[in-house]
Order: sequence, then structure tokens, then C-alpha cells
Amino acid sequence: MTDPLALDPVLPPRERSEPSARRWNEDLPHDERFEHFEAHVLGGGKIEPNDWMPDEYRTAVLRFVEMHANSELMGVLPEREWIMRAPTLRRKLALTSKVQDEVGHAQLLYRVAEDLGKSREAMFDDLLAGKTKFHNVFHYPTETWADIGIIAWLVDAAAIVAQQALRDSSYGPYARTMQKICWEESVHIMHGRDVVVTLVNGTPAQRAILQDALNRWWGPLMQMHGPRSDRTKDRDLHWRIKAKTSEELRQEFLTIYVPRLLELGLTIPDPALRFDAGAGEWRYTDPDWNELRTVVTNHGPKSQERLEFRRLNREATAWVRAAILAEPRAAA
Amino acid sequence: MTDDGNRMIDEGAPVPPPGDLDDPSRRPAGVLEPFEVFRQEKDGDPMRHGGNVLAPDPELALHYAREMFGRRGESVRLWVVRRADINVLEDLDLLQPPLDRSFKKPGGYVMRDKLAAARSRAGTSKPGARAGSHATTDRRGGAQ
Amino acid sequence: MTVSLAALDARTRTALAGLLLSMADDEFVIGFSDSEWTGIAPILEEDVAMSSIAQDELGHARAFYELLAALLDDGRDADALAYDREPEAYRHARLLDHGRGDWAMTIARRFLYDTADAARLASIGDGWPPLAELVAKIRREERYHVMHALAWAHRLARAGGEARERFVAALEALVPDAPSVLAAPEGEAALIEAGILSRSMAEAFAGWWTEVAGTLGPLGISLALEPPPDPARARAVPSDDFRWLWGEFTSVRRSDPRATW
Repeated sequence: MTDPLALDPVLPPRERSEPSARRWNEDLPHDERFEHFEAHVLGGGKIEPNDWMPDEYRTAVLRFVEMHANSELMGVLPEREWIMRAPTLRRKLALTSKVQDEVGHAQLLYRVAEDLGKSREAMFDDLLAGKTKFHNVFHYPTETWADIGIIAWLVDAAAIVAQQALRDSSYGPYARTMQKICWEESVHIMHGRDVVVTLVNGTPAQRAILQDALNRWWGPLMQMHGPRSDRTKDRDLHWRIKAKTSEELRQEFLTIYVPRLLELGLTIPDPALRFDAGAGEWRYTDPDWNELRTVVTNHGPKSQERLEFRRLNREATAWVRAAILAEPRAAA
Repeated sequence: MTDDGNRMIDEGAPVPPPGDLDDPSRRPAGVLEPFEVFRQEKDGDPMRHGGNVLAPDPELALHYAREMFGRRGESVRLWVVRRADINVLEDLDLLQPPLDRSFKKPGGYVMRDKLAAARSRAGTSKPGARAGSHATTDRRGGAQ
Repeated sequence: MTVSLAALDARTRTALAGLLLSMADDEFVIGFSDSEWTGIAPILEEDVAMSSIAQDELGHARAFYELLAALLDDGRDADALAYDREPEAYRHARLLDHGRGDWAMTIARRFLYDTADAARLASIGDGWPPLAELVAKIRREERYHVMHALAWAHRLARAGGEARERFVAALEALVPDAPSVLAAPEGEAALIEAGILSRSMAEAFAGWWTEVAGTLGPLGISLALEPPPDPARARAVPSDDFRWLWGEFTSVRRSDPRATW
């Protein structure tokens, strides 16, 4: 194909459109390609699936997206139990729709990961074998309808704080997917908050199950973004796959949601939680990082049960996937 | 431009080598056909429909797409797709079904009154716009 | 919503209430039955599709219950009608009273139900405008359901092997109860007289059965033609499966019947 740049020789090079010449895609020695690629990414440039990528980048993005996809898929399980028990038609519709959206997010994210070179089936294999992980919050039980409100509001809120920061990820398909996901999650958060506020305005028994749910979920929420990490050592930050540190995300979550919880008259079960105006950040009891480690390595209260549920379900539906890929045969 | 045929991709579709008129899908159809052109304005943007060109085959369609939608440097990527290969869904019963779906949208969750009722019961006030810059915030709900 | 009830006599209103209840209960039961696939369907993309269809049915149920609440005007709202009855008081068709089953059972049931429901909806006349208006909207949404059911019926039947076996077995298991959707409602004569039904359910049933045979015949499937639906059996006492479901779906609500959720 004719070089498009050669079709327009009148303009001197510096006046040609600014976007990168994508020189890492040229037939150059690896180190030179790496340098061009890194310069592009560090300068805020985007990478698309048909770009050449250093293995380190491809692996890092794939791992990041895969864990995110796994989390959406597993995150469905604690909530879907309550679709059956939703106490009004509207709540039933809203919860079904929310869980449907999570499945849709899993689909979007697995697709992004597939285009980086790993098949969906391989990703399911690794998830179910415990080789890849999913976020801590989805390893815990849901005990009452109040849990559903707390999860939809606060777990989704903590997730959206992270996801908003990912909308500018260096990997184009992931960044664009995050924009769609963030919009959809914002509706989930409103649904969750509506459930919570309705309970708060309800009977003493309803307020009691709500406070109990908050007491149980606060620990996992504080662990969700992960321990403080060294910004300079974080390769995902280096490659701009993500833009904010764990602590930055946690602080943002607290800033927005602590006041909204307190506004409702709820008690946050951390006596040390306070905003230190001098330091400009929230102080809190150090989250139980042992618990986090135990849980994400699939030793959480519901980890094995949920993985087994998925395993059984996958086996039970394998015949459908086989059928859909089969060549049609003549009728009887 | 590198074309790695071993990767599964859905974006930046591979450009087959030029002049490969032995590939049946790339042979002229014997008529001028419409090819829809999608363009990416800058790095990272989604592909957006720009318009279409008439061309006798996919290779010339690329040239014409470049002319019509890229000659001023206004695009960084083009997708050029034979219109006949596009499956269209425009059935409004499927795309805009008539019954209420407000539970799927922000507008379905108006909470102002409920929040006011909750605050009044708890004796709290609305969090300020710059929540988080409070000097002290008790961990219990209470007037500050 | 202006509910033009004055024009209907007591006999007709009773029959109309019965019709609305059975349509509402049908949509509610199949809606929450199929919503159980959310998160665990065979393919991610299909999961999203089946969930949409289930949500549509729940939405239709809600609309029917709302109409019924307006008709009964006894202080109950749609949620009270949907949730606050004993299991015996539900009037869903026997076809929908089976457990969800596997994907083949779900598709077989959707195929039989969506086509029968289409025939029923096509039988609603202009006699009571609020119902006619609602049905016009619902029919537009139901087109997608029939398209989807047919797409899967074809694929399962033509895949041969295990898929076809499961699908045919499911159809055969469901066929004795398939006519229940189009069993004549109580007071059908009054409904026809009032123009609320534009034809009898027997007529709808005959047309529907021909259509089903016309779809399955080319796929090499023939189902034993059952005698016309027995109204006494069609919506009778629900199964143990349903009673268990009832226990689950009413559990939160029953924990405090006066609470707002």
C-alpha cells in the first residue's frame, strides 16, 4: 500500500499531524521498538490490539484485565441468590438488571483479554483451578436483604472509584470499556443507595439488619483496594495501565462515602476512623492484610463453594456450547 | 504497519497485503459498491462512522477512504467495510421497547425526599460539597 | 390511567379479573424462573439475552398486576397482588409449574410459552381499552422473545446428538401441559360478549398448535397432539416445586409484611 505520508509531500514533517508514527510497529531491533513503545505510553499515548507490544506490557495488561473480568463473573454469585427473594417487583427488576450488567461487564472484559491472546476457555480454566484471582469482596456470604443494599452501594462505589481512574488507561480497548462500565455502575450505586436509604427510613428491625451488614462489610471494603504500595515500583502504574495507587483510591472512597454513611445515622465500625485535616487524609485502623491474603488465595468463607458452583455449572452447560458450534445436520 | 495474523483482534482490523486479487473476497465485484468508513480521530478514541465511498474492490476502497476521510490529517485510523457485509438491526421493538425500564437508568432513582427523611430522623445535615475537608468527623452520625 | 369500568357488568368484571390474574401470574412465574439463569447461562452473551427476556416478563407481570389492582380497587397494589397470596391462590399455567430445568428445558418451555402467549395476546380485543393498550405494547416486546426461542429451537434441533435429544425430551415432557396456557378462562363467554376477547381460546389454541407443528415438522419433530386444554387442570393447585419457590420469593417480604423495601 502506498505510504499515505508520501502522498502529501508538500507539508514539511513537523507540520504533519502530531500522532505518533507508531515506530514500534516497524521492523526494528527489539530494544529500539521497546524504547519507542515506552516513550509513547509514558507520553500518554494509547495502545491498540494490533500494535506490537513488549511481552512485559502485554502480560501486565492481560493479567490486570483478566482479574477484573474474573471479579465481575464471580461477583455475580453473591447477589444473584437474592434475585429470587427480592421483596418487590421493582427491586426484583433492578437487581436482575444489575446482575445482568455484571455479566455484561465480564463479557466486555473477557473480550478485551481475548484480543490480547488468551482464549475465554483458558481464562475460565485458570480461574476455576485457582491460578488466577478475583477480588476479595466476592468471597464473602450475603446474609440478608440489607447486604444487597450495602454491596450495590458501597462495593460498587469502591469499584467505580478504581474504574474511573482506569478510563484513561494506556490500553485503548480497556480504557474505552471502562467508560461504558462506569456509566452502568453509576446506576447500580443509585439502586444500592436507594435500598439502603429505604431500610434506614424503615422499621427498627430493618435498621438493625442494615447496621449489621455494614459492620460485616466494612473490613472487606477497606481491604478491597489493597495495601499501600510504592508508586515507583508499581509496573502497572509505570505502564499507565492504571493511574492511581491503592491508597489514593481508598482515600477517595472514604472522602465521598463516609459523609454519606454518617448522614444516614449509620455507625462506621472503626473507632479510629477520622479525617486528619493537617495531613489532608483519612486515618483508620490498619486493615487486616492477612485476611486479604487468605481470602484472595481462595480461602475465604465462600471461595471454594463459589468456585465449585461455577465448575459444576460450566460442566452442566458444556453440551450447549458444543451444540452451538456444531455444523447443523439435516433434520431427523 | 505490522500485521500479525496470529493474533485474535477485533480492532485495527488487519490490512491484507495489497494486490492480493487471488483472494476471492478481495476480487472486484464487477460493479462499484458502497464501503462504509469508520474513523478514529485521535489516539485512543473509539471508531466513529464517517461516511462511505464507492469503489470496485477493497483495495481501492482504502485509497478512496483515505482521500475522503483522511487527506487533511483528520484521522489516525480508518476501518473500511463493504456495506453488504454489515448486518443491520434497526427494529425499534427490539431497540426501544415500549415498557418502563427506568430501573436501568439514573432517572429511576430519585432520592431527594428519602435522604431528607433519613437526615431528619438521624439529626444530621447534608454532607458539604467538599466532603472530606471537615476538620473532624466523628465516626458516628451526629451534628458537627 | 382512566379505568373505564362503568361499562362492564359484574359478571364481566369477575371474568376480566380472572384473565388478568392468570396472565400476570404466567408472566411472573416464567419471569422469575428464567431470571434464575442470570449469571449462570451457558454463554456470557446468552446470559445477558435471557436475562433481558426474563426482565421483560417481570415487567409485563407488573403491568398486568397494576391493571388488576385498578380493577379490583381493594387497597392492594401490584406488589401485594404478586407477593401476598398463599401458593394455592396463584393461577399460572401448569406449563410453567415445572422446575427451571436445563437449557433445553428452558428453551423448550420458552418456545411453547412464547408462541402460545402470542396467540393469547392476539386474541385480546378492544372491549376494555386499558388492557388493549397494554397488550399492544407487550406484543411489540414479545416479538423478540419468539425470535430468540425460534433461533435456539432451530440450533438445538439441528445440532443433532445430545443437544437434539435433550430438546426433544424436554418438549415431550412439557407437551402434556403445553395447552394449559390457552385453556378457556372462567367466564369466557362474557369476555367475548364484551369484546375483551376477540375470539375463543379454543380457536387460538387450534391456530397455535398448527403453528407449532409447522415449526417443529421441518426440524423432524412431531409432538403428540393433546386433547384441547382442560380448564379444570390447567391452572390447578401448584406443584411442590412452586411451593418451595413461593417460600423463597416471599421470604423477605413475609419477614415484615408492613415494611417498605
